[in-house]
Amino acid sequence: MKKTNRTGSRLIMALVFIFLYAPIFLLIIFSFNAGDSSAVWKGFSLSWYGSLFKNRIIMESVYTTLLVSILATIIATVAGTFAAIGLYSLSRRWRDPLLTVNNIPMMNADIVTGVGLCLFFAAFFRFWGSFAVWFNSIQEVITLPTRLHLGFTTLLLAHIAFNIPYVILNVAPKLRQMDKNLVDAAKDLGCTWFMAFRKVILPEIKPGIVSGALIAFTMSIDDFVISYFTAGSSTSTLAMTIYGMTKKRITPEINAISTLLFVVVLVLLVIVNVKEAQQEKKAKRPVAVIAAEEVRKADRAEFFKARPWIKRTVTAVIVCAIGLSIISLSRATYGQPVVNVCSWGEYIDPELITMFEEQTGIRVNYQTAESNEALYSLLKSGGGDYDVIVPSDYMVARLIEEDMLEELDYSNIPNFELIDRRFRNLSYDPENKYTVPYAWGTVGIIYNTSLVEDEVHDFSVLYDEKYAGDVLLINNSRDAIGIALKHLGYSMNTTNEDEIREAYQLLVDATEKGVYQGKVMDEIYQKMEGGNAAISTYYAGDYLTMLENNEDLAFVVPERGSNWFVDSMCILKDSPHKAEAEAWINFIASTEASLMNMDYIWYASPNSEALEQYPEYYYELYEEELDPEIYNIMVAPAETLERCELYVNLPADILALYKELWIQLGI
Amino acid sequence: MKNKLSGLAVPYVIWMAIFVVAPIIMMVVYAFSTSNGNFTFGNFADMGLYASVFGRSFKLAIIATIICLLIGYPVSYMMAKEGPRFQKVAMVIIMLPMWMNFLLRTYSWMSILENNGLLNQFFASIGLFDLINNIGMRMAANPELYVPIDHFNMIGTQGAVVLGMVYNYLPFMILPIYSVIVKLDNSLLEAARDLGANNMRVFRKVILPLSLPGVLSGVTMVFVPSVSTFAISRLLGGGTQMMLGDLIEQQFLGGAYDPYLGAAISLVMMVIVVVCMAVMNHFGEGEEQAVML
Repeated sequence: MKKTNRTGSRLIMALVFIFLYAPIFLLIIFSFNAGDSSAVWKGFSLSWYGSLFKNRIIMESVYTTLLVSILATIIATVAGTFAAIGLYSLSRRWRDPLLTVNNIPMMNADIVTGVGLCLFFAAFFRFWGSFAVWFNSIQEVITLPTRLHLGFTTLLLAHIAFNIPYVILNVAPKLRQMDKNLVDAAKDLGCTWFMAFRKVILPEIKPGIVSGALIAFTMSIDDFVISYFTAGSSTSTLAMTIYGMTKKRITPEINAISTLLFVVVLVLLVIVNVKEAQQEKKAKRPVAVIAAEEVRKADRAEFFKARPWIKRTVTAVIVCAIGLSIISLSRATYGQPVVNVCSWGEYIDPELITMFEEQTGIRVNYQTAESNEALYSLLKSGGGDYDVIVPSDYMVARLIEEDMLEELDYSNIPNFELIDRRFRNLSYDPENKYTVPYAWGTVGIIYNTSLVEDEVHDFSVLYDEKYAGDVLLINNSRDAIGIALKHLGYSMNTTNEDEIREAYQLLVDATEKGVYQGKVMDEIYQKMEGGNAAISTYYAGDYLTMLENNEDLAFVVPERGSNWFVDSMCILKDSPHKAEAEAWINFIASTEASLMNMDYIWYASPNSEALEQYPEYYYELYEEELDPEIYNIMVAPAETLERCELYVNLPADILALYKELWIQLGI
Repeated sequence: MKNKLSGLAVPYVIWMAIFVVAPIIMMVVYAFSTSNGNFTFGNFADMGLYASVFGRSFKLAIIATIICLLIGYPVSYMMAKEGPRFQKVAMVIIMLPMWMNFLLRTYSWMSILENNGLLNQFFASIGLFDLINNIGMRMAANPELYVPIDHFNMIGTQGAVVLGMVYNYLPFMILPIYSVIVKLDNSLLEAARDLGANNMRVFRKVILPLSLPGVLSGVTMVFVPSVSTFAISRLLGGGTQMMLGDLIEQQFLGGAYDPYLGAAISLVMMVIVVVCMAVMNHFGEGEEQAVML
């Protein structure tokens, strides 16, 4: 009877383990996939493991993750151990409230800790800014930087802050078990307090320190939320990189690096466990064997004791190696001139970054934001350590209005001359002082012809119950409400509150009918390409990218019109790398770069030469004619543009209304 | 001597003042101010709008916690009853997934649960949908109007979000409960049996009360991250199941910049969590020695 019981319980445990491991095995299996999908198997290949090491974004984030985790663990372990000893020699009256404070970061939700630290750093930076200005004004010997940003330092501080409590929690019980008289005895026998610490306390609490360090390291490696709020935008841990990618498509290179890390941990754990098992066995051996081993050990110890330089040299070499690698890596990243660029997902040919770096020696730190609104939040909360950003028309207007952009020196950007007249002096920057256009296009309906039987002409399909659960709503207020306005026949830039509310009601009704499967931005790629959703609205260029992976997709700009947009490169106010930033803008505006970019991202360039030459360029590259229909989707002809509207920046009260309605729709 | 050692606490007290207390003070300051820096209660008043988000977050987090407990407790109990070797291996098996980034594991669920995902593909390949459609067609009053299905809607539902939470936080439930049960003194159980208690009674009167501290710390460790998550609801809820975490994230780094409101929501969440935990600790008879990992 007992036996059947056990098989039953083992079966249940096995089921739970399968539940825990099924997704992990999937990840591992798909790291060997020849295709880049995470659901369709295209054959075995090791190519992702090869390309992994060439992917700079992933390798840098792995490096940042490891460096932060190791440094934070070391510092937190040392600090936490001393702090625990200190706390435990206090009287209870003092110790208990302090320990309660110590527990706060562990009890709080990660997001609360992260938000608190984020606000704290922002406040400190503001204080520092005014202090530095004052300090620089009273003397001229030292110039302090006036603008500080979230970055590696704040990330490290945050990690140390949430790691120390775990170390203390693990060291504390060992201290409680220790006989306090031991320390006194050691002192009576002539130990200095440091010797007492090393010879008496440390050996007693060592298991606690080790487990504390291990937990701290695990927490650091696994953390996402706190890093997300404290690392800013130019520093990225692996978790943050993955989060950025889950919005688009996760490259299987991430599967590969995760598999590698997983295997390393697995091997380490197996080794530790086997060693432990061996030691247990050892304990059961005959005395003679143990004695012989002890003698050998003593001999070895004697050998090293007689030659203290061996130990010292080894230590010195290790310290040097670690120090050198840190220095060399930080030099490689910080010594060079840099330009920090923030753009959108899948919005540049990565080859261009390499080309620019080789030509100029300026390192490009390339980041992406999710939407104009998210970019704005990032800039406001002090997280956006950027030089060049690529916002859309209406956001450019808003940033100019709030005095957040730097005027460009067009003599450093000669390629601006190549920009087509149509894309200069547009409403958002009437005198063209701040911007160089990057790309433009239209917004339209993307639908899967194998899932939608009817012909699609206008936006009504977005609100139709017939397609319940198959429609994706674009996840930003301006586009979602703007499209609804257009569908109702109003201007997308209306400031009439009733019209906006009517458009909002359209969205509410559709939401209540369950039309929307989700609200997405770049998640759209994976959803539409995989046939997981049937209808969505997105940008023409992205449609063409999707078309490469799924031929059933179709694109239409409704008869009643839609939105057309221009994304422009601008430099943020007080950018410390203005010259580098202008070099980058000039490079991107060149005809060669524009052609390469058009070919890669399928968005139309504003460069008049590139627009003209593209079909020819395409023919030379692929030895086939470019389908004129595709060219017309990419480079919308004049009659299409006439139907479409460019967004303008809305007045503050209307923006507030948009925000309020959008949040209400979400909850 | 004594003074010297307690002096070691001073730097850490300063550190805590800066990195633990000051951020919370900042949060309180923000929560009570307008964007012009004036004092206000408005941020809390605005929160009434989001009552449904609070409701959804707590509902889903509570469901996930209960499911974790229902799975986690028996599993911990069974594990503790196995031999030491098995226990060691099982521990490693449960800890190991934590070393693979939780976002990736959640993303993997996404590819399983999609409309055209692996699970739906599997169901289609075993003919489940044909079966359902056949039955549906026959049962329907008007077969003409019957709409055949070719997939289950799993992604973007509350069920998917709960699944994600259970999946991610189950180990946090199993580990503390297991570590309490495994330390239970066997002689206590024998004594109870000798006194005539049957298995059920031994469990109810001895094992359960003694494992309560583990259960409490497991419940906290599952509930707190569940109620505040934003990545899981974002990935598996498809942006339609907004939770408190999403709301806070939106105010700071997302589409609706309003750190004042964000701070107010964070503060409320912190207070609720602290109150919940105080209540639970009270029931746990002051057993606040949370058994971590």
